[in-house]
Amino acid sequence: MTTKRWLVAIPFVVVTALVQSALWVPRYETQGAGNPGRLTTYIDLGIGDAKILNPILSADSASSQVTQLVFDGLIDVNEDQQWKGRLAERWETTEEAYLTVLPGRTLPDGSPATAAAVAGRVRAALASGRLGSLAERVQAVERVPAETRELEVSIVEADADGQPVERKIPARIDAPERVKLSLDRVVSDLFEQLAPVVGEGLLEQAGAEAYLKPLGEAGPADVAALAARSAELLPVAEHNPVLTFALRRDVRFHDGHPFDAGDVRFTYEAILDPKNISPRTSSYEPVKRLEVVDDHTVRVVYKRLYSPAISAWSMGMLPEHRMNGEALAREAERRGLTGEARARFSLRESETAQHPIGTGPFRFVDWQRDEYVHLARNTDHWNGPPEMENVYLRVVPDLVTQEVEFKAGAADGYSAQPHQAARYRVDPRYQAVSTPTNTYGYVAFNLRRPLFQDVRVRRALAMAIDVDQLIEHVLYGEGQRVSGPYYVNTPYYDWDTPLVPYDPEGARRLLAEAGYTPGPDGILAKDGERLAFKLITNNGNPQRKAIMTVAQDAWRSIGVAVVTQAFEWTVFLEQFVNALEFDAVVLGWTGGDLDPDLFQLWHSSETNPYQLNFAGYASPEADALIEEIRIEYDETRQNALAKRLHRLIATDQPYVFLYSARATYVLDRRLAIVERDASGAEEFRRIEAIYGRINFFFERWRKLAQDPVFAEEG
Amino acid sequence: MARFLVRAVLVRCGLLVVISIIAFAVVHLAPGEPSEVDPMNPLMKPQDIARIRAAFHLDEPFYAQYFYWLRDLATGELTSFKDGQPVLPRIWERFQNSVPLFLTAMLIVWTLAFPTGIRAAITRGSRFDRGTTFGAYLLISVPSFFLAYLVILWVVNTFDVPVIGMRTFGFEGASPLRVGMDRLWHLAIPSLMAALSGVAVLSRYVRSQMLEVSAQDYVRTARAKGLSEERVVYRHALRNALLPFVTLFGFLIPGLIGGSVIVEQIFAWPGIGRLGYEAILARDFPVILTLNFFAAFLTLLGTFVSDVLYAVVDPRIRLE
Repeated sequence: MTTKRWLVAIPFVVVTALVQSALWVPRYETQGAGNPGRLTTYIDLGIGDAKILNPILSADSASSQVTQLVFDGLIDVNEDQQWKGRLAERWETTEEAYLTVLPGRTLPDGSPATAAAVAGRVRAALASGRLGSLAERVQAVERVPAETRELEVSIVEADADGQPVERKIPARIDAPERVKLSLDRVVSDLFEQLAPVVGEGLLEQAGAEAYLKPLGEAGPADVAALAARSAELLPVAEHNPVLTFALRRDVRFHDGHPFDAGDVRFTYEAILDPKNISPRTSSYEPVKRLEVVDDHTVRVVYKRLYSPAISAWSMGMLPEHRMNGEALAREAERRGLTGEARARFSLRESETAQHPIGTGPFRFVDWQRDEYVHLARNTDHWNGPPEMENVYLRVVPDLVTQEVEFKAGAADGYSAQPHQAARYRVDPRYQAVSTPTNTYGYVAFNLRRPLFQDVRVRRALAMAIDVDQLIEHVLYGEGQRVSGPYYVNTPYYDWDTPLVPYDPEGARRLLAEAGYTPGPDGILAKDGERLAFKLITNNGNPQRKAIMTVAQDAWRSIGVAVVTQAFEWTVFLEQFVNALEFDAVVLGWTGGDLDPDLFQLWHSSETNPYQLNFAGYASPEADALIEEIRIEYDETRQNALAKRLHRLIATDQPYVFLYSARATYVLDRRLAIVERDASGAEEFRRIEAIYGRINFFFERWRKLAQDPVFAEEG
Repeated sequence: MARFLVRAVLVRCGLLVVISIIAFAVVHLAPGEPSEVDPMNPLMKPQDIARIRAAFHLDEPFYAQYFYWLRDLATGELTSFKDGQPVLPRIWERFQNSVPLFLTAMLIVWTLAFPTGIRAAITRGSRFDRGTTFGAYLLISVPSFFLAYLVILWVVNTFDVPVIGMRTFGFEGASPLRVGMDRLWHLAIPSLMAALSGVAVLSRYVRSQMLEVSAQDYVRTARAKGLSEERVVYRHALRNALLPFVTLFGFLIPGLIGGSVIVEQIFAWPGIGRLGYEAILARDFPVILTLNFFAAFLTLLGTFVSDVLYAVVDPRIRLE
């Protein structure tokens, strides 16, 4: 009977065909067999897919992982955590300073102040030696004539829903004449040094607002808004730090086109172009203008003292010839876009964000969405070609199957979960590289609440939590305690700041000292007010929930009543954190390296709704330090200031600073770093992490056919 | 017949518009904004956030946003918030990845379910029948993601072969036959996992249909005529038992979009289910809404096809 036979035969054939295919698939130990290219291929596993492959537009880590390999910045961080040149061979920092001479002011001798007179006095003072070493710094003193300029001033207001909305006020500035000083390096206290010469009165900002005029229909609110910004729009005493980059001459993009200063200018302009809606715009806000001096020299002039601004130049440089207005217009034409789609067509929509061309060590080959990004070695790289011929950045969204896929040999590296890390560190079949990360978890108090205004209460709450136990059980030991707001991988972290000890008895004593006595229900109270509050966090992060539970239990044991609740992330942000409607939250920060600026997170001006100092930390001493760090151009002094700030915030304890998790990357054991000495002889070195970056030497990674023999260590 | 078809199409078009409006409202009323709007990123200032919201029209009223979406969808110029790329080609690309998975899974479901169900019905009460009943309820009760994990771990630990994704990486230098077999293997496990609960459910259906039909007069008549048991079962009973399954085909169509989110997520399969899942996580409104629109379209198409198929295969049904 044929029907019956078919009914049995077909499923048998289908299942057999599917199952036998397993025999053809390569294994971990036999990857190279019949496929020698596997040894020059590195396959990485990540959770999420890249979003957009343009360094100025991407903000997610998966995209950055790709763009960092495909693009080069002007500068980069070296092994000693200092800036080093990449596309820039070298750079120097100088300064132009301006003193606006407002009409009607007088000099110390009573004569009317004019730019010529002020310049004369300054020159005379410099020549007389009265100003000491400043005379060596100042290269020229000139008079700059008065000028008028028109501009649009951007004001951000909150709409009915509390969402930020931008408004622009057209304005005219009638800038009076000025005196310009050129200096061979930044002198942050220049005007303080000049004050005795020109008189304090000349340096006063008040009065400058008279030269700012709104254009068109402007109400008194606009006038006030402009006046409030007078120090920024028409500063009387103005520092203009200048960065001059000398670019490498031997750099070509992956399509062979030479890289030059025009590409730097283009990258800068593309970031500022509102059509591109770059999330990086704010990092370039301090830039006043960028000048192309010649094909290989770029001058960046800043509006004010802001030393962390240099970090913005680690941004990957874009190829102007492929992305400028003409190139985009041609692409829009080819794609047949019409009307509005054409008007808004920008780098974001362009194919260049899908098929990037940069100058980096790897060139882009192919991107299959949610599957992989394929890169290949750039043999023409200015720093020599990397070892790997092919790099695949794969997407495996499931954490369990990531491990499975790695073990099957279909990937060479992946970021292990804390519970897997310890086991991999002792497993001889794989190698594991472990490093602290630039993250920390914390419990933030809402310092606006009367309850948390006493530092003894905050300290007692911190002392009640056994953070070591938390690390042991929540992170399986994969973490370390932190004392304050800077990340452990940065030179700003102050290792001398003591960690808060776990001491429930001490916590009880501190609370007693602060006036709290046990009430009838066992909960501490002061003046009839119970020591009770609500601790919240977001859903979807099991570690934070665990912290919440542990804290609740720890606090309960010293007589503090805590209610806990977890909310969906956006609800948590909108209704509690951004609205400042919380008692205490469990959260974490993640940051980059070499950024000493804590302004947004800790300055007292950033405590409004929707700002990041949601704890409401306001300390005049910390404010002063934060501001000083921003204008300090000497690295040693800046590091010292940052350490002081770290200690200060740690002592004030607006957060309970918990821990920084460790990241563990598990790699194929045959991967090693190749070192070549002068004679070209090769040596192998174990892969190590540099300040949180596991792939720091990625360009020199090689996969060997056998287990590597390492050079002497130490 | 013609009047029925016209009316059915018109009603469904109206429904589609209503569904798209409801979906639009639900998506926008849900808390959260596109992940590009990230107020917790210290690198972003309020100005940046204001600009991004304005560029996505998020600062405009709902009806205006709905209009923009509809207009851009109609002109084919709808772009994703996430990367600014056109949405329709993206969906088409992912759809093509999902099709092999869907088809293989369907092939497994339909080829395995029928022999199992028929045999269980014929040998009702036997050890085979009880065994498959138990197996079917087990497969229906155990969550498919859990079963998938067990199978993956077992396969990888026992046979040491990779199973995740659409292919083994770093395998480009190998011969076309090996590459093809590698692709087939990577298709095998996820489609099997996607098919299992389908096999369980469908084989139960087949069994009960066969049992019901076997009790009919015409089956008894066939037996009374002295026909062989095989002829009775496979011609007279099976053919009539097949009727309801023809209509099931129509309902399968929307499974192309929504049916495989979990399997695609676990097996890192870059299909359409994952596109939707990722879009929801990133609040990528244009992609969510367009996918929803197509899912609604396919569902309505499915009900339409089953209505028509029913009339075609069963002469007793007339469409008026």
